[in-house]
Amino acid sequence: MSNRNWIQSAALGVVLAAGLLAPSFAAAQTPSSTSAKAAATGSGAKSRTPSAATAKTSAIPRTADGHPDLHGYYNFLTVTPVQRPAKYGNREFLTPQETKEVFQKGLQSAFEPRDGDEEHYGNELFNPNSVDYDPTTFGLSPWQNGIKPNPRTSLVVDPPDGKIPPLTAEAKAAKAHTVAPAAAESVDLAGSRAGTAVEGQSYVADDHNGGGVVHADVPLDLGYGTTCVSPGGGPPIFPGEYNADMYIMQTASDVVIQGVNGFRVIPIDGRPGLPASFREWHGNGVGHWEGDTLVVETTNFHPGNTFRGANPKTLKITERFTRISPETIEYKFTVDDPSTWTKPWSVILPLSAENGPLFEFACTEDDYDAVNILAGARAFEKKAKDKANEKAGVPISQK
Amino acid sequence: MGAYDQWPGGQGIVEGGEIPYKPEALAQKKANAAKRMVVNVTSDDHRHDTGDPELKCYMPGVPRANYMPFPFQIVQGPDRILMAYEYARSLRTIYMQANEKSIPQKSPADTWMGWSHGHFEGDTLVIDSTGFVPYTWFDRAGDYHSDALHVVERYTQVSPYHIMYEATIEDPNVFTRPWKMSFPLYRRMEKNIQLVDFNCTEFVLDLVYGQYSKYPKK
Repeated sequence: MSNRNWIQSAALGVVLAAGLLAPSFAAAQTPSSTSAKAAATGSGAKSRTPSAATAKTSAIPRTADGHPDLHGYYNFLTVTPVQRPAKYGNREFLTPQETKEVFQKGLQSAFEPRDGDEEHYGNELFNPNSVDYDPTTFGLSPWQNGIKPNPRTSLVVDPPDGKIPPLTAEAKAAKAHTVAPAAAESVDLAGSRAGTAVEGQSYVADDHNGGGVVHADVPLDLGYGTTCVSPGGGPPIFPGEYNADMYIMQTASDVVIQGVNGFRVIPIDGRPGLPASFREWHGNGVGHWEGDTLVVETTNFHPGNTFRGANPKTLKITERFTRISPETIEYKFTVDDPSTWTKPWSVILPLSAENGPLFEFACTEDDYDAVNILAGARAFEKKAKDKANEKAGVPISQK
Repeated sequence: MGAYDQWPGGQGIVEGGEIPYKPEALAQKKANAAKRMVVNVTSDDHRHDTGDPELKCYMPGVPRANYMPFPFQIVQGPDRILMAYEYARSLRTIYMQANEKSIPQKSPADTWMGWSHGHFEGDTLVIDSTGFVPYTWFDRAGDYHSDALHVVERYTQVSPYHIMYEATIEDPNVFTRPWKMSFPLYRRMEKNIQLVDFNCTEFVLDLVYGQYSKYPKK
């Protein structure tokens, strides 16, 4: 063993938050159009940040260098729909009563089979076709997981109608080429979720998303997630049905954003990002403070691994972290990809403080799925082949 | 591959020059070495029987991650130290004394990169780690441990450019006594240095799962 390599950490002046200062502002649960201030979030969307008149800067816990202290564990599970249901029009906030009802109904729906019920207030996060994804098979029920009510009508806050903008013509054309329905013509799926194989054909299964069929011929057919090549981790921070836990740690030189599925170390001391030739699985992010908001800008995304299939060459994601109470960070991200969406769009997602620790996530090491799905596909194919051979009077192969 | 696949010589980092195996454990080490390139990943208890975990892009464990030729970054936070490794994007969290009341003393679940508590003794960072799965190796020569592995590391910065590092390995299931390794850690001084991806999982998919694909090699 020859060289050992070691990189300088943050400045040796270890920052230590001098205890959490008792906040003097209330964590407002009711929307107030007169006191909400948009400055921190920089768009027409109303922030939950208290106005300058009511928030004393000393009320926000700060690190020794004066920046708000973002350190802690957070949960970002939500039952708020991604896009605003039509019935709310341009309303950004629910009433307190509506907030409670949406939250209760959302929690209740987590226990019920979804069976194609699309009216979870249009909640894309809980795929109505995904009858197999009962959250309790993977961990806690949402109500045990620190989920909090959210007074917003939707996660999307810009455009003001709460809807993701249309795809560009270029993006629509690209999508049309990714579906491969040809294989489905020769295989009778007959609604079988377990997949099928016909003698001489490969195992295929419905992709359950209206996109056609999925194959399991070679490992990469299973996708980057199931093969653990890139099991998620953003940016942006975006909830699914489970594993919506994270940890943030900041120093003078870096901010670390650790999710269940991976971590990012982002320089915030003026160091530049990587050259354009580097395409990273979580993109390459560079951060800086704008007043009391930490801003992280990420580009250099990796092909095949972008948020909602955006174009890695042109995608830029800007994240803004603003602590609005000891329990909550207001997290806003803006998706800007002119070759995929006709205009940029933004989401506000509350990050709610919770207790740690985070457990280690050993994806590649414990990837039983990749073995079982591939081996299962081969078993289907052998069964189909044996059946055909039996009909033809050929001895069943032992291999 | 000619000389591409060769490694420089070295005098070794184990104090005393030998790892003190129990006799039956030495047989296992030799079996590991003989089968270090035999990859047979199943979905049962034999999944980790053969093959160097490094070959499969598994997390390298402790202290192997510190002497692989990939950069890592130490980030000192308010109540913990994070050690972020380029290799397989492995991460160690070293809980420092300030936070011990809310973090369990023992690992809630077995881990590849250990469950670590740290404190300073003067200017030396001392890290005590347990809670390991028994599947990592110390090197490509099949040197291994059980889930009773206990590692105590000492990091002492001796100049702005290097840290003297030592690790004491204890595992009563495998070794007759604790043993120690030591070496310097050199700071990376490149301008604008930062970690980049080494996502080797993508490169080993055929190696690890190829036997189950429709077109198996060999």
